[in-house]
Amino acid sequence: MWNRRQFLGQLGGGFGLAGAQGVLQAAKQPHFAAKAKHVIFLFLNGGMSQVDTFDPKPALTKYDGQPMPGPKIRTDRASGTLMRSPWEFKRHGQSGLEVSEIFPEIGRRIDDFCVIRSMYTDNGNHGPSLQLMNCGHQLPGRPSMGSWVTYGLGTENQNLPGFVVLCPGFPVLGSSLWSSGYMPTTYQGVHFQNTAVEPEKIIPNLRNEDLTPAEQRQQLALLDKLNRHYAGSEPQLESAVQSMESAYRLQTEGGPLFDIRKEPEKVRARYDISDFGRGCLMALRLVESGVRMVQIYYGPFQPWDNHDDIRVHGKLAQKTDGPVAALVDDLKARGLFNETLIVIAGEFGRTPMIQNSGLEKLGCGRDHNPPAFTTLLAGGGIRGGMAYGATDDFGFKAIENRVHVHDLHATILHQLGFDHTRLTYRHAGRDFRLTDVHGEVIRPILS
Amino acid sequence: MRVFHLALLTLPLAAADDAEFFESKIRPLLATNCHACHTEGALGGLRLDTRVGLMKGGKSGLAVVEGKPDDSLLMHAVRRTHIRLKMPPVGALKEAEVADLAEWIRRGVPWPEAVAEAKVTQARITPEQRAFWSFRPLQNPPPPAVKNAAWVSNNIDRFILARLEAANLTPVKPAAKRTWLRRVTLDLTGLPPTPEQADQFVVDAAPNAKAKVIDRLLASPHYGERWARHWLDLARYSDGELAASVDTPWPNAWRYRDWVVDAFNRDLPYPVFVKAQIAADLLPETKDHLAGLGFQALGAGANDQVDVTTKVFLGLTAGCAQCHDHKYDPIPTKDYYSLLGIFSSTKTHQHPLVPKAEVDLYQAQKKKIDDLKEILNDYLAEQTKQLVDLLARDTARYLVAAYRNDAEVPGLDTETLARWKKYLAATDNDHAYLKPWQTLIASKPTLAQAEAEAQQYQRFLLDLFDEAKEVDDKNYVAFGGRKGQKNENTRQYTNIVSLPVLKFYQWREVAYGPYNIDGFKAPAGVLYYSGKDLERFLGGIAKAYIDKLKAEIATLEKDLPPPFAFLHTVTESDKPGDIKVALRGDPKTPGEVAPRRFLQVLCDGEPTIYTQGSGRAELAQAIVANPLAARVIVNRVWQHHFGKGLVRTPSNFGRMGERPTHPELLDYLSTKFMESGWSIKALHREILLSSTYSLTTGASPESDADNKLLSHFNLQSRLDMETLRDSVLAVSGQLDPAMKGGASPISDDNRRRSIYLTVSRTRLDPALALFDFPDPNASVDDRPTTSGPLQGLYWLNSRFVATQANKLNERLAKEAGPKPVDRVTHAYRLLYGRPPDEKELQLGVEYVASGSWAPYLRALLGAAEFSSVN
Repeated sequence: MWNRRQFLGQLGGGFGLAGAQGVLQAAKQPHFAAKAKHVIFLFLNGGMSQVDTFDPKPALTKYDGQPMPGPKIRTDRASGTLMRSPWEFKRHGQSGLEVSEIFPEIGRRIDDFCVIRSMYTDNGNHGPSLQLMNCGHQLPGRPSMGSWVTYGLGTENQNLPGFVVLCPGFPVLGSSLWSSGYMPTTYQGVHFQNTAVEPEKIIPNLRNEDLTPAEQRQQLALLDKLNRHYAGSEPQLESAVQSMESAYRLQTEGGPLFDIRKEPEKVRARYDISDFGRGCLMALRLVESGVRMVQIYYGPFQPWDNHDDIRVHGKLAQKTDGPVAALVDDLKARGLFNETLIVIAGEFGRTPMIQNSGLEKLGCGRDHNPPAFTTLLAGGGIRGGMAYGATDDFGFKAIENRVHVHDLHATILHQLGFDHTRLTYRHAGRDFRLTDVHGEVIRPILS
Repeated sequence: MRVFHLALLTLPLAAADDAEFFESKIRPLLATNCHACHTEGALGGLRLDTRVGLMKGGKSGLAVVEGKPDDSLLMHAVRRTHIRLKMPPVGALKEAEVADLAEWIRRGVPWPEAVAEAKVTQARITPEQRAFWSFRPLQNPPPPAVKNAAWVSNNIDRFILARLEAANLTPVKPAAKRTWLRRVTLDLTGLPPTPEQADQFVVDAAPNAKAKVIDRLLASPHYGERWARHWLDLARYSDGELAASVDTPWPNAWRYRDWVVDAFNRDLPYPVFVKAQIAADLLPETKDHLAGLGFQALGAGANDQVDVTTKVFLGLTAGCAQCHDHKYDPIPTKDYYSLLGIFSSTKTHQHPLVPKAEVDLYQAQKKKIDDLKEILNDYLAEQTKQLVDLLARDTARYLVAAYRNDAEVPGLDTETLARWKKYLAATDNDHAYLKPWQTLIASKPTLAQAEAEAQQYQRFLLDLFDEAKEVDDKNYVAFGGRKGQKNENTRQYTNIVSLPVLKFYQWREVAYGPYNIDGFKAPAGVLYYSGKDLERFLGGIAKAYIDKLKAEIATLEKDLPPPFAFLHTVTESDKPGDIKVALRGDPKTPGEVAPRRFLQVLCDGEPTIYTQGSGRAELAQAIVANPLAARVIVNRVWQHHFGKGLVRTPSNFGRMGERPTHPELLDYLSTKFMESGWSIKALHREILLSSTYSLTTGASPESDADNKLLSHFNLQSRLDMETLRDSVLAVSGQLDPAMKGGASPISDDNRRRSIYLTVSRTRLDPALALFDFPDPNASVDDRPTTSGPLQGLYWLNSRFVATQANKLNERLAKEAGPKPVDRVTHAYRLLYGRPPDEKELQLGVEYVASGSWAPYLRALLGAAEFSSVN
């Protein structure tokens, strides 16, 4: 990372103002010693099925094709009989946790993961649930978790945004999921399309098409002189003046950090199988460079929303499993695993029952399931190799050690060094929190 | 308040005097300054909402000693002579208020609470709550006397200067004429002044030179374009549906935007403006303003409407009372549901802008097309199904032919045979039912063995089809008929049946259509034919029937007029009525009925129950009749001229909002505003002609770090996104001045004013978001101003700025001639409204000596001076 003096040196000393503070929020101290300094949030948008991935339910095989015992339970839409998972589960690692065969690589590293099987949320529709998982509230207009994190911790690299969002296209609800709400937009997620690998295709306006680097430095020197001449009397213009300087740093220093082609072929090969995978490698590089939070949406719209055929999960997992494993391995290799909290979640789970999407339509997909879903955490001071909480015999509802989305948020903030009840932002005359008036830190999963 | 006047009559005279004193001086003082912390919260253990609480004192001891103000801790705290307690913590009381408190204690702390508490049975709104500053009637105080009367241009200045003088501060010098002109022009129109306008103004020595400028700007149509945008932030305006999961553009939303532009340009009296946005359909004075209802219709249902309506027009956060009584303001949950009842009795409505006959024609024609399409599609789907069944009965023959690798077999369909071959050869069929056949084939069986196994598989397949049909039939009944007669809620409990998974896969691979979901594709099932492929099998009457339907549809579609234009409005629902309070915000636990009526705290005595339809008309009238209506809009106008409002939380005038920095001025302006016929343009004039608005920018004095007293003008460190972009286009000479009409997305070629750019709620354009365009999902009362590297890159490298710099260069060449000195000078005059000084001129001329005009102009556009207003 470049400091100011190096930067000025680069420009031959003719550029910049003395004694200025960073344009982005400089790194800040949390409430108490943090376990994690960064978050990588892998968002499986659409909603990953728990019973086909990390929450095995032998009873589903036994009762396959039969109605779920007990009274008919209201689901998001009409649902059918119980459906076994098309995949086998295998025990892995010292912990012996069972993982579906569609995630063999994560399975091999399961001792690094905490599998929360008892997550639940409040709404069966994508919009409100996405909003709740990302911003702590079902309605749009609140700051996202990444905004809270950068608001609380600032960022370590002034050449890059503090909160980066990667998604090819847009997920459902789009930019309101990484909005800074009522906070300044400094804390807003900056969305990049990770469909490309060339930084100039990822970062808008990264290249100057008209000037040589020498010419551009000359232009910047002039601009700086003009600004100093004018703004000398207006200290409040300092940050505007500096944004040119930081822009040039992003152009020359920050941009290349997005360039996964700079990684050795050996490293790159493990990620280079999907947009999601390439996003993971980008996240690794960004976190390594001090970006506070990177959130990767698996894909546009909601790929994991497999109402019609749950087997699509298998194909999605193929493109997810290897890159996640590689990310864990490489974070470890670079000494970042312990200080980086990996979160793998969707907005809700999927029903253990078959869903017939409409009248007269046969199907073998699963519907939305807000009463239970599975979330994975790794690194950042989380205990690996453990399952936390449990669902009922069929995986329909979380029944033991239930974890609400607010609890997950409280825990994430805790690992970053925050008491979630004290990380507040004053707006419209009152103090707001990511967790509203809820949330309990899940202490048993902390290492 | 009314309650007290009655009660006071029954008291002895001296007591009545004390009570009067308490009610007029002390109760409001306590409510405004103390109750945020010293009621239920009881900070420091002290309550100041009852006499008992006050006399009991707090953790620091007794608060008052009756009759002895100088011995009372309370007085030490408010005089700020106590070593630790300095109350209120946000700033000292006024001297008069301190004196009143002392006088009150001297009188023996009279507190007519018996009366007050008797009233606090079910009404719940206490006199203390009603005495809060923003709920009180407008005061219309006389402008105060000032020492430096020469500085005063109008009464605004008296209010400002009196406070400055009291704080021993003096206003800074006035800004240069050019600075003032650029400031006021950007403020009112969102565009920079032209060099000609600047020259004219600089030499205009007439006493009304400023007034002439202001009148010119207010008469410009660009004024409405600028001020409408402030309002659209509040109205969470967008060109798409709110809270839609997929981006859903609303191609008629702009009609509301244009109505707002028009309303500002026409200086629509504010009450009409408000009523139009709540009940245009119900009131005679707003019948021409139906488009204003877009304010409600572009939202997301009744809860959103309650929230936004109260915030925007009243500066109250009634939305907070959805789940519990408002924590800080006297808005009980029941009040929330009273308002919600009004909006629940309202529905959105597409108001057509064409004659009814045209609408009817369109809809009838559209229905005909839809009906015919349905008939055609149902028929084709049925043919597909029958064909599947028909072909399935030859399955054994197809399998054997495939085994023998025949290319053509009489009586078998060649394409179907090819499909079977491909399917049987595929290795990714991982289900159990084909295994016996595959195993047998691998063992090189005799023809007879193959034929037997083929028969076996055909029997299985036909049984499977029967089973699938049975599943369909059962679900058909369970759902209540073909189109699913049961409503969604009941359907959620419907028991439906399915094939076992592996059988389902087998069925799908043979009998189901092509499959493409979430990027995963499967071809059509072996026996599935649709479209042209299907028609190959259909002849005679069937084919003729299909062709006839298609021809009919094509004719109708050709004659279908384009969708008619409409306004997004609301209308009364079929059955307006009250709703029940949802306890803890959960509709599943209904509480008492909340009659439709206005917020209790804003009513004198018992609120009137609304009886006309939804009650929207009555609500709209109650809002404009309330002093908050004027206070809130006056404050918003002030906010956009000075950067900060007199109340710095423009949509929260409640207890947790900020107190006005100049309450008397706010009330003075509000009164004057109403007297002017609620003219916003008159309000602009008053504000802009003040000496206060003319001050230069500068550093804040230490004693007033936030410049609350306005000893100088607040620098605007960065123009908002719209003004920036529009200014670039204006100085390059490229701005397309066309007003109004449909929205178009931002692009390098789009040269229209930014208010006409498409605003998406799910895909907010990054170029808009980059410069703090607000999230259009929520009402925004004050945009943040950020800066950062991506903004810098925009100025340094973006195509848009490059293009405009080139255009600017062409303009300079044309208007300023060949000499660099002239061109540089002209650029400064265009961009910054002033000529360059010697150093700037020299730097410019030196830089362009190498001929690099474009990068030079780009630097001028990217410079802090262009983006800011001083």
